Amino acid sequence: MWKDLGDREAGKLRPYSFSNRITSDRIASLQLSNYKEIVSPHRGAVNSLQVDLTEGRYLLSGASDASAAVYDIQRATEYEGGSLVAKHKSIFVVDKQHEHGHKYAISSAIWYPIDTGLFITGSYDHYINVWDTNTTQVVVNFKMPGKIYRTAMSSLATAHMLIAAGTEDVQVRLCDIASGAFAHTLSGHRDGVMTVEWSTSSEWVLVTGGCDGAIRFWDIRRAGCFLVLDQSQSQLGRRPPLLECSTANKAPMSKSFPASQSVNVRSRAPQRKFAYGNGSKQSATGRTSSQAKGLVRQRLHPGMLSSQDRATSHYGAVTGLKVTDDGMYLLSAGSDSRLRLWDIMSGCNTLVNFETVRLQTSKAMQLAITNDSALVFVPCMTAVKAFDVWSGKTAMTFRGHYEYVNCCWLSLQDQELYTGGNDRQILVWSPSRLNFDEMDHGSREEPIHAQDQDNWSD
Amino acid sequence: MEEESGGGPRVVAISLIEKATNSTASEVDPRLLKSIKSVVRSSDSELRIAAQTLMDLMKRDHAQVRYLALLIIDELFMRSKLFRTLLVVNLDQLLSLSVGFRRNQPLPAPAAVASILRSKAIEFLEKWNTSFGIHYRQLRLGFDYLKNTLRFQFPNLQANAARIQQERKEREMRSKEILLKKFETLKEKFSSIKEEIQLTMDEIRECLDIVRPKDESVPLDFIEDDEMEEFCSSELRQIRLDSLKEAEKVHENSDNKVVFDALRELYKLLVTRHLVSAQEWISVLIRVEVADNRSRDSMLKEFIDIRNHIQSVKKKCEESGCVLANTMNDEEEDFWEEGKIELSESDSFTAANKQSKDLAKASTSSKAKSEAPECSNKESNGNKRSGRESIESDSTSLRSKLLAEAPLMNWGSFLDNWGSKQDVLANQRGLELEGHWGRVDYDAVIPAEKIAELNIQTTVYKEERVDIQPCRAPLSKGGLCQRQDLRVCPFHGPIIPRDDEGKPIHENSSTEEITLDLGSDLVEQLAKQAVKNVRDRDKEETKKREYDKQALKRAKLAKVREHNEAVLREAAMASTSRSEAFGEDLGATNMDKPLARNKKQTLASMLRKKITTKDRLGQKLLNTRVRDETMRQLTLGEDANYREAFPNQW
Repeated sequence: MWKDLGDREAGKLRPYSFSNRITSDRIASLQLSNYKEIVSPHRGAVNSLQVDLTEGRYLLSGASDASAAVYDIQRATEYEGGSLVAKHKSIFVVDKQHEHGHKYAISSAIWYPIDTGLFITGSYDHYINVWDTNTTQVVVNFKMPGKIYRTAMSSLATAHMLIAAGTEDVQVRLCDIASGAFAHTLSGHRDGVMTVEWSTSSEWVLVTGGCDGAIRFWDIRRAGCFLVLDQSQSQLGRRPPLLECSTANKAPMSKSFPASQSVNVRSRAPQRKFAYGNGSKQSATGRTSSQAKGLVRQRLHPGMLSSQDRATSHYGAVTGLKVTDDGMYLLSAGSDSRLRLWDIMSGCNTLVNFETVRLQTSKAMQLAITNDSALVFVPCMTAVKAFDVWSGKTAMTFRGHYEYVNCCWLSLQDQELYTGGNDRQILVWSPSRLNFDEMDHGSREEPIHAQDQDNWSD
Repeated sequence: MEEESGGGPRVVAISLIEKATNSTASEVDPRLLKSIKSVVRSSDSELRIAAQTLMDLMKRDHAQVRYLALLIIDELFMRSKLFRTLLVVNLDQLLSLSVGFRRNQPLPAPAAVASILRSKAIEFLEKWNTSFGIHYRQLRLGFDYLKNTLRFQFPNLQANAARIQQERKEREMRSKEILLKKFETLKEKFSSIKEEIQLTMDEIRECLDIVRPKDESVPLDFIEDDEMEEFCSSELRQIRLDSLKEAEKVHENSDNKVVFDALRELYKLLVTRHLVSAQEWISVLIRVEVADNRSRDSMLKEFIDIRNHIQSVKKKCEESGCVLANTMNDEEEDFWEEGKIELSESDSFTAANKQSKDLAKASTSSKAKSEAPECSNKESNGNKRSGRESIESDSTSLRSKLLAEAPLMNWGSFLDNWGSKQDVLANQRGLELEGHWGRVDYDAVIPAEKIAELNIQTTVYKEERVDIQPCRAPLSKGGLCQRQDLRVCPFHGPIIPRDDEGKPIHENSSTEEITLDLGSDLVEQLAKQAVKNVRDRDKEETKKREYDKQALKRAKLAKVREHNEAVLREAAMASTSRSEAFGEDLGATNMDKPLARNKKQTLASMLRKKITTKDRLGQKLLNTRVRDETMRQLTLGEDANYREAFPNQW
């Protein structure tokens, strides 16, 4: 770190790269935080977590006991053990007692992406409530035809204020906060929609994953979906960056990747064969990759192609979706305990083998991905695992929850991971404290730390 | 590098741990544990290896191994920080292996050990949490999860200890406060208390001064001039001196009675109040903790002085003799009087008892066959001997009532402890026959029941005197036969009621009773008569042959039946309890057969307790019938209830 600082001072390192390095270092050192603790007021499983996108300061959580709470993650409400442990209590809680509160479990709670004045909760009681944060009153609500699994708002949107809602119903509905009515009804899924995600590259593109195992891409300006991901259409490895030479700032990382990727692919190809048990299909998909690209390009009437329309991306339901920050790749988790990385451009499965053991199957889950798309955080039963996006290797395992983990959120601003699980806890995983931090407080904290020392009596 | 160099000891650590866990004891071998600790302490790599090994051992499918491993883990956990940091990362795994809270991972085989393992693990977790929880979020999480989500019962050792400590502290505080308060009040009242005590003591001294000078001054010269020479031996002289002194002591008389009384009063006050209070204040002062020790100490000193003073005065009082003795006497007298009151009461009571007993005796001895109440009335009316009795005669009604209930008893020693339900000491007769027949258990007791059993009264059967009716048959020489036979006169046949001339009186009204009483021959006689009657009728009405035959048959049947009945009744009367009452009725109605009557009655009364098979059968039949009846009624009632309770289900 000191070296990087020196390099940055000398101008050897570009600012963006420097900050990237720092953040990735910090993320690589995430561990269960002992000095930051969120006091969960929930009496049910925590289903949804989100830190607001504007300030990066307020954490919103939605839980199965129909309560949603907001915490200030920057300033602690109280300290314990001689300011060793900072406790963050909820600023406010809305629960069943609230006059407009939800009756059943809140499955999704998200911030209004523009500011922290509004937040949106979707619940199993068929309602989507839009809350005013300051007055904690419901401003608008939408009645949906079934249980709501997931709601999403586009963080890029400048021209619309639509809430995309995935429900038990086969149709995805877009609720317009401005008018308080349903703007669109997107039909195409053959079963309930578990998860919805807006594209990070276009404000008009919506990705939905259903219980039928299909992942559909919608352009909300047009009718029908324009892309259905097919797990049998695959491409090996990552597409080489288009402007490799021009994007010199990414050089150190992206340079290393193709090489390692190709190695990975080569080594993995036989594995896949074994895994699937038919090499012919494998080779066929390999051949059709270029063909697929061609198909994707003619976006006009993909819904007409019934063969493509029936494609599935997972065996079973799609439980989690996450688009990388650059909007080029999509990660999907399914109830078949698989994690797949899709190239959005080509619509192909990249065949990265993520070393997941098992995933929770019954609930929608929330994935988190780092800014530079290096690591993806996936709730794997009672633990949260961080996988290398490109190799699928497990980078870190976060064990702390005693029951299934439902959601995780990576706060990009201070590189902290928040996870919520069925054990009603919200855990904070933060980078290990910097050394100079301790040096600063060294003299003061001496007596406290003295407790936690070796104590050999014999 | 390090791994290679630590190759040897690593094996040692692993083998030590495995050896330690490979036992069936409930404790880790302390020597092994010590060596493990010393090995692990020497280097971090050892510790890492040990942690790994222990975690592996925890995964073993045997509760005993896990239990011992857990004990070692606890030992190391409490000591090494590195070990803690290593272990805490996998705390959930450790907990699931030791507590077994996951349903799909229950604890392995020996169930007994598994339960110990679980309780131990919970206890350890609590301990770890209280001592290191603040430094390890994982510990807090695990503890919180087990406690608040799974609702495990933690032993709460620390909390309990703290609570007890707290309680004790509070109690101490309270007592201290009380002491302090007392001290404060003492401070305020100190002078007044002192004054009061001083006052009493002064008064006592004055009293003593009045009493003393006489016995001080007189005897000395008395002895010296008079009889000095007579007592050569010093001992004798001493005795003499003492006796003289004693004689010369001022004794209470009418003149100085007032002084003595006052002295006694004051002495009592001094001993019962001031001395006690002084002692109390001293103890308070000793125990109290106050800021200004000087004042406390001075007060304490003063109080001790006062106490000593009081004691000296007390001694003086006692020396003056009469005071203590008198007070003692007073007390005794009081006591005695009280006792007397009680005694007199009980005396009167016993007297009354005795009187009633006398009465009873009198009534028994008197041959009048009147009932007890009459008798008592008569007695109480008859002899009004003393005033007491006259008083008691006011409550004659009550007395008579009681006497009506009272049993008639013969005089005997048992009346001495009448109605007492006490156990009696078996070997306390007042005779000192120590060990004459061997060892004697002086505490041996005859239980009250046994006594009662021994006191059961023997009653001799006394035949009621009955005057036997004379035969009264007319004799040929004139007059009536005066033979007194029970049933049959040998000369004039059965004894029957006769009028004054000796003619038999026919009483047909109560034929049945007669048949009953007279037995089978009379029945037969009657039957014969009946037959004769029938035959008479036969002669008169010869036409209706068939009818006659039927009548005859009927008559015969009736005869047989009657006979049977009579026999049965006889038997029953002789043996059952019921027959007695029956017989009595009879006795009242027909007095012509009093002899037989009475005899039978007495027989029946003697055999009162006997229950015949017939009775028993009847009882049983009745019982079963009643039982059936009640059962039916009960079920009916239940049905009704049920119908009421669930009308729609019926």
